[in-house]
Amino acid sequence: MTTAIEARQLCKHFTSRRRATGLGAAFRQLWAPVYHEHVAVDGVSFRIEPGERVAFVGPNGAGKSTTIKMLSGILHPSSGSASVLGHTPWRERRELAYRIGTVFGQRSQLWYHLPAADSFELLGRIYDRERHEHRQRQSELVERFALAQDIEKPVRELSLGQRMRCEIVASLLHDPDLVFLDEPTIGLDVTAKAAIRSVLLEQSRQDGKTLLFTSHDTGDMESVCERVIIIHHGRVLVDQSLAELRRTHLRRKLLVLHTVEPAVPLTLAGTRVVACEPHRLELELDLDRVAVEQVVQLVMARARLRDLTVSDPPMEDVIRELYGRARNFSAQRALGAPTPGAGP
Amino acid sequence: MSAPNMEHPLGPCPRRSGDPVRRRRGLGKHFAIARLAARQRLEERAVLWGRVLFYFIILLVFARLWEALLGAKPGSAPPDDASLGQRPSHYIWYLAITEWIMLSQPLLHLDIEADIRAGAVGHSLSRPVSYVAGKLAEAWGEVAVRLVLLGASGLIFARLLGAEWPEPSALPLAALGGVLASMVMTLALAAIGLSALWVTDSTSVYLLWQKACFVLGGLMLPLSIYPPWLRSIAEWSPFAALLFGPAELVLGAPPERVLGCMLRLACWGALFALMLVGLERRASRIVTVHGG
Repeated sequence: MTTAIEARQLCKHFTSRRRATGLGAAFRQLWAPVYHEHVAVDGVSFRIEPGERVAFVGPNGAGKSTTIKMLSGILHPSSGSASVLGHTPWRERRELAYRIGTVFGQRSQLWYHLPAADSFELLGRIYDRERHEHRQRQSELVERFALAQDIEKPVRELSLGQRMRCEIVASLLHDPDLVFLDEPTIGLDVTAKAAIRSVLLEQSRQDGKTLLFTSHDTGDMESVCERVIIIHHGRVLVDQSLAELRRTHLRRKLLVLHTVEPAVPLTLAGTRVVACEPHRLELELDLDRVAVEQVVQLVMARARLRDLTVSDPPMEDVIRELYGRARNFSAQRALGAPTPGAGP
Repeated sequence: MSAPNMEHPLGPCPRRSGDPVRRRRGLGKHFAIARLAARQRLEERAVLWGRVLFYFIILLVFARLWEALLGAKPGSAPPDDASLGQRPSHYIWYLAITEWIMLSQPLLHLDIEADIRAGAVGHSLSRPVSYVAGKLAEAWGEVAVRLVLLGASGLIFARLLGAEWPEPSALPLAALGGVLASMVMTLALAAIGLSALWVTDSTSVYLLWQKACFVLGGLMLPLSIYPPWLRSIAEWSPFAALLFGPAELVLGAPPERVLGCMLRLACWGALFALMLVGLERRASRIVTVHGG
């Protein structure tokens, strides 16, 4: 099967003028400006198969948007190569434009004072769609995204959630094979986020669309994606399936115990008490030092159990931990100390 | 699927539907953008009526000014020298046309500058329509609405202010010249907007353009009353072709002036279009290499 995206050692360096400090230096820079190079993306490589839903995650300034811009053809890389649906994005931008959809959470392709239906109609013309085919696709998507009541209202009258659903419909109207979504749930409330996640998931499952999804919300990642690429300081830190990520990096578990006795005396290496209330004890376990079974047996020896739940810590904690490790690694690398285990 | 090659070792991914997109050439999508832009502008009623009011005030003030200066009522008998610019009625029609063209212009340069600042130019490159062509289509949609509304208002205001009807062929010819001039002027505004990529703030370039329109274009005073040396300089500039050229047609210019006006507009239009193509290429290179 043909690869949807293949990035090979993509790099992007930007040159910018160094801001002068002080009035004298500012004057000097009028005729002798000083430039410095900033590395935004530093040798990113990955491969995405058709139909995959991949979260592209990283802290601000990690290089996510720059990578997406290179893959959608709107930015030339400084070095490296990429193939998106068989096209070199920055050389065959126009060809590729017909086959990809883009949703940028903070940019709109809808006309503000007009109903979204008018923008949809225009997009049909822009993407050279046959009229009847376009109308059919539009009505399918409008139904699937539950927008029938909203697309006749001027966009300015729509809520943020409705508007974002319209934006996603707009990016899917030309039936792209691959959709880049850059923070599509930014600023939305819980209900609107859930609605968008579920329609995206459904859409991808039904039509086999490949999704590359950037978000700071790990909920988006967990609800929609099956694989995650974590990027930090322009480099791929982790490229794994979500399940594998949990297995590899989640070396902790949350254990909640409900007991008949009001309190259970417990001191065991590798456990940390998160909350202790009458008849309820919440523990965080370090799986490298203690097993769940060991803790449960110990508690059962000292008290009668009513209920117990074992869960993973939120994905957000995993990501935070990974960023933290990467930061430490970078700091140590800067000091010249080799640090194993933090690289991709 | 195409044969694998060095550039695309995997070959283009086949479309699921098996139905390749038919890419149409032509201006259909640009007309669609212009139509939608016109509809969007019609929604902004306050802005449109504001322009109409401003147009009326300008015509009223200048009509009274020329009346006082020339000492004659617009409808009164012409003085001895009835050449262009010697009768209040002439001035009203002249000003109605020049202001009609100027007020019909959108703030396209600011729009493009805002897109450059927001990085929207880069994002627009992922769509199958040229950024500049899309912006021009949008601007011409807006211009069309304003030309119609301000044109109709101009006729009414000029008559209300006492201007006599010009020769029957003069108004359609001036209107045609005005429409062409507006389109050419929009090309120049797009180029001014793109200049923000180099000068950061395009307002300074726009102010130069606007003042040159006032002085060399004869926005308020016809070039026919300028000193000969200044008139000859102005006539070589695009500004005279854009404002004075169409406006003098309303007063019944001879056929060679009509033809000259249209030819000048076509030449300046071609020159601005070429300049815009070059600027768009440079801008695209900047955006794709240095980021939007």
